[in-house]
Order: sequence, then C-alpha cells, then structure tokens
Amino acid sequence: MTATDRLELDGNVVAQRPTPGVPRPYEFPDLAQAPLDNGLTILVADLPGRPLVSASVVIPIGAVDEPADEGGAAVLAARALTEGTERFDAVALIEASERLGASIHADAGWDATSVSIDVPTTRLRQALDLLAEVLLRPTFPAGEVERLRDERLNDLLQAQADPRRRADEAYIDTIYAPDAPYHRPAGGQRETVERLDADVLRRVYARAVDPSIATLVVAGDLGGQDVVAMAHELLDGWSSPASPNASGKILDAPAATGRRIRVVHRPGSVQTEIRIGHPGLPRKVPDFHAVSVMSAILGGLFNSRLNMQLREAKGYTYGASAGFDMRRGAGPFTARAAVNTEVTVPAVIDTLAELERMRDTKVEASELAAARDFLVGVFPLRFETPGAVAAALSGLAIHGLPVEELLDYRRRIEAVTIDDVAAAAREHLRIEAAAIVLVGDADAIGPALRAAGLGTVVVERDDAPPALGPIPDEAHVAVDEGEGTGPTAGAEEPGLPGTADEPAAADTHADDREDH
Amino acid sequence: MPTPPTTPIPTTAYSDHRLQNGLRLIVAEDHLAPVVAVNVWYAVGSKHEQPGKTGFAHLFEHVMFQGSRHVAKAEHIALVQAAGGTMNGTTWLDRTNYFETMPSHQLDLALWLEADRMATLLDALSQENLDNQREVVKNEKRWSYDNRPYGTWQEKLQAHLYPPEHPYHHSTIGSMEDLDAASIEDVSEFFRTYYAPNNAVLSVVGDVDTPEVLRSVERYFGAIPANPSIPPLGDLSLPPTLGGEIREVVYDRVPLPRIYLGFRAPVYGDRRLDALEIAGQILAGGKGSRLHRRLVRDERIANDVALFTLGFTGGASILAGWATVRPGVTVERVEAALHEETERLAVEPVSADELARAFALIEADELAALQRVEERADRLSMYATLFDDPGIINEMLARYLAVTQEAILEVAAATFRPDNRLVLTYLPEIAPADSGAVDTDTDEGADADTESDEEVAA
Repeated sequence: MTATDRLELDGNVVAQRPTPGVPRPYEFPDLAQAPLDNGLTILVADLPGRPLVSASVVIPIGAVDEPADEGGAAVLAARALTEGTERFDAVALIEASERLGASIHADAGWDATSVSIDVPTTRLRQALDLLAEVLLRPTFPAGEVERLRDERLNDLLQAQADPRRRADEAYIDTIYAPDAPYHRPAGGQRETVERLDADVLRRVYARAVDPSIATLVVAGDLGGQDVVAMAHELLDGWSSPASPNASGKILDAPAATGRRIRVVHRPGSVQTEIRIGHPGLPRKVPDFHAVSVMSAILGGLFNSRLNMQLREAKGYTYGASAGFDMRRGAGPFTARAAVNTEVTVPAVIDTLAELERMRDTKVEASELAAARDFLVGVFPLRFETPGAVAAALSGLAIHGLPVEELLDYRRRIEAVTIDDVAAAAREHLRIEAAAIVLVGDADAIGPALRAAGLGTVVVERDDAPPALGPIPDEAHVAVDEGEGTGPTAGAEEPGLPGTADEPAAADTHADDREDH
Repeated sequence: MPTPPTTPIPTTAYSDHRLQNGLRLIVAEDHLAPVVAVNVWYAVGSKHEQPGKTGFAHLFEHVMFQGSRHVAKAEHIALVQAAGGTMNGTTWLDRTNYFETMPSHQLDLALWLEADRMATLLDALSQENLDNQREVVKNEKRWSYDNRPYGTWQEKLQAHLYPPEHPYHHSTIGSMEDLDAASIEDVSEFFRTYYAPNNAVLSVVGDVDTPEVLRSVERYFGAIPANPSIPPLGDLSLPPTLGGEIREVVYDRVPLPRIYLGFRAPVYGDRRLDALEIAGQILAGGKGSRLHRRLVRDERIANDVALFTLGFTGGASILAGWATVRPGVTVERVEAALHEETERLAVEPVSADELARAFALIEADELAALQRVEERADRLSMYATLFDDPGIINEMLARYLAVTQEAILEVAAATFRPDNRLVLTYLPEIAPADSGAVDTDTDEGADADTESDEEVAA
C-alpha cells in the first residue's frame, strides 16, 4: 500500500467511492442471415470461444392461435414431437441425443412453437439432423400422447394445491373475457385436455409447421462450420402445409371494467398470494422502451417502489414486483407478492397506492437514471451465453421485429425521459379497472378486506378433501391452472432485453439454498 | 451412429494470492466479453449456528445488504444495478457467499462494496434494519417452505439423516422461534467472529488485468484486520450409514402422494461421491434414465422422478430424490420400484452405453456451466474454501470421466441399502377416521418408524 492510499482510509477502509474505468465497447454479435427457397429464415451468430452451440427452429404459432375447444393442443403437440419420429421411437431418440451430450426440447407457449437443441460444437451436424427429424417427421404415437395427456391432467391436479399457481390461474380467469385465450392457461384445462388425442395433435401441428413463417436460429462457436449449408441439406425439403394456420386477430379483451376482488379460500394459509392488475400490452407497442423503464421503477428493479415499500420498509414479503408480460397479444400486467396473512389488507392498500403514485406523479430524475442505467448497463451481461443470444433472436422472429431492435435497444432506453415514463404510466396503468385476486385464508382476511372498502369481495370456497385414487370430476370445481410447469417456457419468453419482468434481482429462489 | 469427437473444455487459468491479513484472492482473466464476476465465500454457514440460534447465518446474510459505514440501507444493490450489474448472496450449510457480475470497467465498485461491508457492517446495524429483515426472512420461510405443497421435505430430510447434536440436523432457514429471538448482540458477535478477511476467499473472473486487480484488492481490503481466533468446529464425523431404515408418513395438503428417499453419502471431495453422482445421472438424470424410463414412461406409475446429491464436507453428504405417485397407483408399488432400481445398481454393472451417455451429458453440463464468469468465480471460491485448492475447477470433469463401472457398484452397495435409507411419504390430508380407506404403508411403517414427528420437532 502506498502512502497516498493510506490517506484515503477511513478506519480500515477507503471512504471514497471508486469511479468507473473506461467502458470497453460492447456490440451485439454480428448476424448472418440467409433465407431458404421454402421461405425459412436463418439467423446465425458465430460466437468464438462459446463451444456449446444453441440451435432452435421457431414457428410463431402457439396456444393463442388455437380454438377454445382445443385448449392445450399446441403445447401437447409440441411436447409429443420428441415422443417418436419416422426414424426413431422415443427411447432411441433420447439415447441418440444423449450420446451427443445434447439436450433436445420441443415446446410451445402462447406465442410460438419451437424445437431447440444445445450441443457441443463438434457435434452440431448430428444434432441438427436430430432437430430436423423431430421437426419434420414426428409420428405422434397414440400411447405416448395418452401418457403426456395424463401427465398434464395430473399436473393440473397438483396445481390446485400450490397457492402460487392457483393465484396465477384465478387471476387470468378474472381479468380476461371468457372467449380470450389468455383467459385459460396455455397448457389448457381439464375439460379440453382430456379430449386431446394423437389425431388432434397431428392435425394441429400439420397446420403450424410452415417454413415460410419459421426461423432457424443458431448461436455459438461454429469453428468454421457452414450452418447454412447444413440447413439446405436438412431443411430444403420442408414445404408449407396445404391449409396453414390462418393467423387471425388475437382476442385479448378484458373481462369487464371496474374493480373486482376475488378471494380463493385456502384454509390455514400462512401467506396470501396477491395478484393485482389487468390485461396489459402486446410486445409491439410504440412506447416499448418507456414502458420498460416505467415498470422497472415500479416493480422491476430490486429497489423498485413496490419492493422498497413492501419488503424493505414494511417486511411484508420476501419480494414484491410488477410488470407487463408482453406477448403477441396483450398479455397481463400484474403486480404480485406473497405476504403473511395478517398484513394482507395493508399490503393490498400499499400496492394500489404505489400504482396510483406511478400513474399520477412524475418519477424523480434519480429513479429514471437508476432504471435506465441498469437496463443499458446489464445488456452485455445478458448475452454472455449462446443460449441467451439464441433466445433474443427467437424473440425477434416471434414478434416479427428487425435485428435493429436489439442493436438500437440501449440508445432507445437512454432516450426515455421523465415525461415519457409519465405518459406510459398514465396510458397503461388502469387502476380503477384492476382486479384484486387473493389466495389465502378467507376467514382470516375477509373481515378486514370488506372493512377496507376496496370493492365488492367475492369469496370462493372449495375445501372438499382432496381425493386419492381415480379422480372424481367434482374434485375439479372451477379451478383454472397457471403457468407453473413449463408449457409456456421457451418460446413464451422471447428473451428480448427490456421486457419489464426481467430485472428483478433478489426475489429469485434457488431450490438448494437460501438466497438473499 | 458413431460418436463424433468431444469438444475440449476450456481450462481456467488463474493466479492465487494471499494478502497479509489472510484474505485469499484468486484472479482468472477472460477477455471474451466486457464483464467481470466478483465472488466472496466466507467459511461460515448454518453448521456454525449454536442451538437456539438456527437460521442466523442466513438472517445475517440479509443484514449484509442493509448498509455499512459508507453505504446506506439498500444502497449496495442500487449502486450495483445502476452500474449495470447483478448481485445476490446465498447461505448454505458449509458456507455463505456474496457475488456481483459487472461490466468490467465497474470492477472497483464491486470490490469497494464488498470491502466496506466486510470491515464496517456493524456501523450501520440497527434494531430497525434487523427487525425488517427478520420479517423478510420469515416471509421467505413461509414462501419457500411453510405455504408450499410438500414444503417441509428438506427440513425433514436433514432432521432424519443427521442426529440432533449434529449441525446439519437443522435447515439453513432455521426456526421461527430462533429468528424471533435474534438480537443485535447476536448479529454483532456473529460478524466479529466469522466475517474476517482470513475467513474469506475472493475470486475475480473476467475482463480484467491481474496486476490491476491485485492493486485494487490491496487498496480496498488490505487494512481490514484479521480475526486470529476463529473458533474451530467440533468433530462432525458420522457413521457412514444410518444404521437402520427411517420412515415417516406426512399428511399434507397435496393431491398426489409423493415418496422422498434420502441416504447418507460420502462427504464432498471424496472420489466415491463422484461415482455416486454418475450413478444418480444413470438413475434419474433426464428422460433416458432408468427411473424415468421405468416409472414414468413404461409402467406409468409416477408422474415425475428426481434424484440429486447435496455435497457436504462434514460427516456425510446426502443423496435424495422423489417420485410423485400417479392417481390410482399404490404408494407401495412405486416405493418398491424405487428400491429395486437403486439396489440393482449395487449388484449389476451399468452398461457401457449408459456410462457413455452419462459422461456425454456431464461433459455438456460442465461446458454450459463454465461458460459463465459468475459460475467460474463461484467454483474457484468454493474449491479454495472447502478444499484449499482452486485448481479442482480444471480437474472435476476428468474425475467424473474416470468413474468406472466397478466404482459405481461399490458406492451403490455402500449407499443404497435398507439400513441407510430414509423413506418420507407425503399423503393427501384426510380426516383421521377415513385413513383406513387409503392404501398406505401402515404395516412396514409401524415397525420401522424409528423416528417420529416428535423427534423432528425436538
């Protein structure tokens, strides 16, 4: 230590906050684009030094495009893709994939259907061969489809016991009109899922699997391998279906206007799961960047207004957040927290107050700077892995956005002003129309909730004892289902920077240890 | 199809330093992206907690975000996020860690923040902040354990696999009563005892210049005094097996029964645990694994299966797993299949193809994990803290790939035996009068239920 350094010491530490060094420039990776004659778009990001390659075929047809009486078909069809192909039965396919050290996933969400594979770069050619086989030649074996369907039905049963999933389900059921797909879970409800069979899935998938709207995304250290040549070889023979899925207007209407308070009674709950909000916005909105900054301030950053109030000031919760789930249609805007039962009503009141404050008053310059600097600064960190780069490119493909969306992202976030944030909040937070959905002990919270005069309270009770053995129909009264088990993973999260749900830093939970 | 060549795992080149106050510093340069990971491991975890003070290490970790002499409450996180970084802290049985991932030109900010709280946390400690984080942690416990279906399994796993006097007997989250009892004096004492530079390892990985890192670390951490008298832990050694089957039946608000299995396993660092991890991959690591194929795909008696090891350095690790029983299937049938498959590993060598597939998947997992600077920093800190050897980061894959069929037979025979297993069965809550209607394991359960609810609560 030099004498100069010692002068700076305050006791044992340096008092002076360090100033940042010179930033090293970061640019989003260069992309190679090359369409095939059948219309398939190809996006390739060569990332030297990243030997685990991520490849994905994304088709922007998902659960939002299916009719109400086939709810869950898109998700189940995607999952059945890896259950058997012309060349492989399910086990042979899994083993072939495992021998490559590859993990292959087929899934669908609200917005899209995708088949993806992550593989060490030396085995990319073999992995793409498997990907093409799964994509183009699935056989939908009846027995495996039946098993997947039963697993989904059992999962729906499990969801009833999980307060988080019950809250998510009751919430979307409350805020969307009954004919809006977002009213139900992407994976479907019991009444439609139990009717799905191999024939339905085959038909649904045949209409979706259209190269003219699909994109192949490959990211990683390609080591000179010619991905476009591989795509020609494997996917040139892919042709558009005779009757493709007509991508019509998405129904995303709200259920009703005016405040609704719905309590799902869960006797003895030590916490109440709170969901407050309304149908929000689609991904393609002109003020996307202002909305991103606004929701980071409201409920995205760790030091967001909601988390600072409900967690750091009051200790009501392990984490409170809010954000827009931006889909091809208007996905939900949700403020959420799990609070101990006794503070349920004050927590609801505080949440509403923060929403109103965001809508009615301008944010401080320091708040704007914190959100803006985070969203801009964290951009390079987000794209450290090929999987993250591929996910961002898939997001572009799903929403029909140009690559400039990523290249210009930081500049556009930097340009957001206090007035832009105020305008976004004023236009997109509709607090008077917000539903309040609570899953908790209605006997404990009901009286205070009614006394608070927040609106009409409707309590649902279905505390019949759960059944073991074959499931009687009456065990499934009017309970929807949430997004907990992954039918909405993958394509569901386009991975675009700045979707306002993302920045929450400290309310994540690792299963094997206590996070902060 | 012939297996193409493997992709070499990049080696992590690092330098290993120690400051005069005992702080160990490990630096690994990687200039691929303009990011840097800063990671501090303190050699203190829930195993250091005294009776009546469970949950302290974790509550303390929360307090570490409440400010220090030059940092206000919640400002640590605000400064990191405004710099374009991410951060968190986690607590586990053997250790506590704190980490930031930053744009590389913001390295000094992360170092300064870690140094300020290592040296001066108590300057900012207040009753108000402690009370606030106590409530946050109690809500974390409610959220992660108490209000979650099957949520008590992990606490019960530890309580059954370790005797009451062993510090792994209690969970990291602790008990509500002990959290309520935590005082400012307790927290201060904990800090003064364990949060010293000579009880920490700092790793810096990413787009940095090693000499500059050394200068900065010396500048920010160099004057923090060591604690020469960190009390050593007592003897944590345990018999390698439980010495008898333990069974417990738990009635919970769950629609489907679930069977949890737990076994004592070799300590972390023991080569036999490497072999057990490969065995776990073959049993339940993905859709091609034995348990998934038999229980979920072929017999369709389980909705899901899982198996994993939790590596600990003192006495014994844990191998645990579960299967969720499908409606209409008896719990006994699923349990018997689990035992059959685990015990088969002890008598019948795994096939060469199974071993090859397990190796390929582990290789890809390592490749995926080590591509992130955050993970490399965490592993360097971990191997230095637990084994005094950060170089293990470059040896683990070779160790896994060296596991033989014989090694799996041997460790399976030592682990998967009836006198070394815990069977924790969750059944849907029903009125006691109805319990006869449910096909439970009342027969064998009655004899073998050597530990009961009372024992857990004690």
